[in-house]
Amino acid sequence: MSLLDTTQLALESAMRGSMIDQTYLANDLANADTPGFQAQAVNFQGELQAAMQAGRSPSSVSFSASPEGGVNSADGNGVNAEQMSAQISENGLLYQDLTQVAAAREQIMLTAIGQGGAA
Amino acid sequence: MSFFDALNVSASGLTAERLRMDVTAENLANAETTQGPNGKPYQRQEVELRSVGGDFGNTLAQAMGGSAAPPGGVEVTGIVADKTPDQLVYDPGAPGANKAGYVRMPNVNSVTEMTDLIDESDTYQSDVTAMSTSKTMYSDTLQLLK
Repeated sequence: MSLLDTTQLALESAMRGSMIDQTYLANDLANADTPGFQAQAVNFQGELQAAMQAGRSPSSVSFSASPEGGVNSADGNGVNAEQMSAQISENGLLYQDLTQVAAAREQIMLTAIGQGGAA
Repeated sequence: MSFFDALNVSASGLTAERLRMDVTAENLANAETTQGPNGKPYQRQEVELRSVGGDFGNTLAQAMGGSAAPPGGVEVTGIVADKTPDQLVYDPGAPGANKAGYVRMPNVNSVTEMTDLIDESDTYQSDVTAMSTSKTMYSDTLQLLK
């Protein structure tokens, strides 16, 4: 029995995946003018879901990037800058949600062990 | 993969876009320069970009089952001259005109440069936005420790 339950481990794993996804999305935007560059992103929610359905521990998931596909300009570049900006904002908000839920759950645990401060 | 990868990646994009803006500004500034240092009309300059992290070593490591290297952003491989021929403008009174009255002008089209400038400035701004989102994510992480 681990101190952290599956939900907490899944939250932390999703945070890790979201951070990796952020790096890839930032890379896509930085390469918005590189000829022939193909956008990549990490489908961390899909990978996490697949792992949990297969009964594996969420913390064992190693996230990998997959190509986004599509050619967007004449030089073979596949980055859609508007779509990338939207994905970055979405990912940032999602990460914020994840950290807040994780923090709230940790607070519950602190309260349970008698270390919680006044709410 | 290090903690601040996303910030470094966005920073590389900012550097590349700023250099592109510098070069575009130089092209615009020299749009009418008929005498360069070599005595010839100014030649339009272009920035060559390449993405970092997609090189042979990484691809090989990945194919052999290793973990993929984190994306490294973008880098400038060089500033090269645009091979488009000079424009010939009929201006018999100009000091550099040939016998037929034509002057060789730089291959710079100011409309192209202006649209390039808009594109570069937009991409720069998206990189800044990405950077500030990443920064918010890092500070969210630090909030967990409170």
